[in-house]
Parts: sequence; C-alpha cells; structure tokens
Amino acid sequence: MKDPVSGNQRRARFQALCQSLRPDLLRFAFWLSRDRTLAEDVVQETMIRAWKAQDSLLDEAAAKPWFLTIIRREYARTFERKRFVTVDVEELIAKEEPMLAAADDQELVELRTAIFKLPSEYREPLVMQVLMGYSTAEIAAELELSNAAVLTRLFRARKQLRAMCGEDTSLDPEE
Amino acid sequence: MMDCGHVRRAMLAEPSSDDAEVRLHLATCPECTRYALQLRRFEDRLDRALRVDVNPRLMEQRVVTPLRAPRSPGARAWDPPHRRWLAAAASVLLGTAVAVSLWLAAPGRSLAADVVKHMAGEPYAWARTDSPVPEPRLDKVLADSHVRLKTSAGLVSYANSCTFRGHIVPHLVVQTDAGPVTVMVLTHEELRRAMRFDEQGYRGVIVPVHGHGSLAVLERGPEMDIKTVEGVAARVLGALDWTA
Repeated sequence: MKDPVSGNQRRARFQALCQSLRPDLLRFAFWLSRDRTLAEDVVQETMIRAWKAQDSLLDEAAAKPWFLTIIRREYARTFERKRFVTVDVEELIAKEEPMLAAADDQELVELRTAIFKLPSEYREPLVMQVLMGYSTAEIAAELELSNAAVLTRLFRARKQLRAMCGEDTSLDPEE
Repeated sequence: MMDCGHVRRAMLAEPSSDDAEVRLHLATCPECTRYALQLRRFEDRLDRALRVDVNPRLMEQRVVTPLRAPRSPGARAWDPPHRRWLAAAASVLLGTAVAVSLWLAAPGRSLAADVVKHMAGEPYAWARTDSPVPEPRLDKVLADSHVRLKTSAGLVSYANSCTFRGHIVPHLVVQTDAGPVTVMVLTHEELRRAMRFDEQGYRGVIVPVHGHGSLAVLERGPEMDIKTVEGVAARVLGALDWTA
C-alpha cells in the first residue's frame, strides 16, 4: 500500500514542477502555433494529460522534454481537429500584435515578426534550441531527423532571420 | 583545420557550442572573431525576442480557472470536459504557487551558479582582441542600467544587454594582459559580502555594490589567477558611475 504522505509530497513536487515549467511551455506553444489562445488551450490540455500520466515521469530532470513531447502531440491533435487549411502570416501578426510588442524596443518587435514569418520546419528547431535549451542531438531525437538535418535547419533559420531583420550579413557564410 | 566558411556555418547553427576547433580558429582570425561578436549580439536579441511576456494572471484565467469553474455555454466544443478531480488538482496547484516561488529562490540556485550558467551560454564573447566595442553601443548598454563607465576600467571589447534572472543587465568583456575577463553589473542582486567561486571551469568574484546590487567578474581557463580577477573587479568598481 502506498504511503499517503509520500504520495502527497510527490504530488506537491509535481505541481511545483508544472508551475515552474509552465511559462516556457506556454512560450514554446505560442511560437509553435503563432496563436496565443491556441497555445493556452494546448498547454491547458497538456497539463491535464501530464497530471494523469505523472507516474510515467520517473526522472524530474527529464520533465522538460517530457512536457514538450506532450505539447507537440497535443498541438498535432488540435491541428487535426481544427483542420487549419491556409495560414495568412500577416493576419497572424496583426492578431498577435500585443504578444509581439516590446516596450521601447522596435528591433525586438521586428525580430519577433520575422520569427513569425519563418517556415515552421526552421522555426520549431530554433525555438527548441534557444528557448528550451535543447542540444542538436535532442532536437534531432524529438523531430526524428538526423543531426545534420537539424544543423542545416538551424543555420537556415538564423540566416533568414538576419536577412529579414536587416542585419549586416556581409560576413554570413554561403550554404 | 576548419576554414572561415566552416567556422561561420558552425557558429550560425550552434552559437552556444564551445567547439575546440572553432575556438582555435577564432584565436587566429580577426574577421571570424568580429563575426562571432556580431552573432553573440544577435543571439541575445533572439533569446529576448522568444521570451514573450507571459502574463501570469492571464494564464491563471485561461489555463487554471477552466479546470475549476463550470464551463460557460459559449465554451468551444473541443475544450476538455470539466472534471471534479481536476478542480481539486487546480486548487492545490494555485495553493502551491507561493511555495514554488520560494523553491525557485532556494539556495541551490545560487547567484554564482546562475552567472556561470549565463556565461557558458556565451562562449564566443570570450574572444581575445584589441578592438574596443563602439562607444555608442557601450553607452547604450550602460545607460539601460543607469550607469556610466570611466575609461580607467580598461579596454572593453564587448558590451551587451543580457537577460539575467528576469532583468536586463550589462554584460561586458574587459581585455587584460592575461586575457579577457567578463563583467556583469547585477543591479538587482543584493549581496551581503563578497564571494569567490570556482564552478565548471569558471573562476571569479561577486562583490556587493552599496545601493546598486552587485558586480560579477569572472574568467575562464587556467591562465589567470583569482587575484588578477579581483584586481579587475576593483578597477571596474572604481570606474562605475551611477546615474540613478
């Protein structure tokens, strides 16, 4: 029989874990979907699924990738349910203007807008690397790609972003 | 040995990688060093750009409250169904919010460890160079934190506004005869007494600055002794001029 005290402690630890990871998970879902409302829905459903499946998380150190995998699956499910057909990036940008805004920093707004315009196959690994701290091998495992393919996508993502933001690209390498 | 094209491609794909071959190349190639510094600045902006504001109150309304409150008639058809056990879970979740914030501030997450973690993510900021950062850029970075730096601080080769523990802080690299030293002006981090640290190959000091938080100075590698680092800390501390 399970000890109720240790069960409560374990639950409390899990709740603390959810709480601490939630901001980054919400950001990840936002950049994945480019839609704040959808991101919140996906994270909400992710938390529910994680809560139900918490026994399968054996190592707290692995919590971030565990949650991220659930988010990606949940987003895919949502995508299937809602059957999005076309995406007008300019419309998305206009809709999410408050999220893209940054007080007194127009450069940051331009960069956020540019990230919105990146194709998802470049945007997703970039967000995983920069925001979530994933290594190339971890991104490759999550996206089921080779390391070389991930590196190519990351290279192209930054190259496109730098060009879109009017950075000095004179020293940027050719492909 | 990698050529410039290979090095720049590698840096563009993995700016935080601390590849030995890339470092070797940078030590002898001023053009690629300049590119590394350019990329470092871009990378910091990218990091800040991705950290969109996540309004906790909004999140509570959207992510937690729906688990507790009955669904409104206008709720979307694919919202998850309301479950009583989830309501209980959500209330506990909210109840632990304070505990979590205390947990986040626990001694385990020490200031020195966070400084080192930040530095480990910026390997190319450590380039040895005799080119100073453009003055307008240095002034802008410092002005963001209401501080000026007298020339007596030494040659500053890198200046960036970095996000550290939720605040924008100046991150500078000062060149010394013994190599580059990194300085972070931690205006929001109060410290009672100076401390030395030696973690993950980085050694340094964090010293309190009365009324203005603290100053972290660190170096990487075996060339420099801690006394030199402390000397740089004292020199920079004497060169800081607070404007607010």
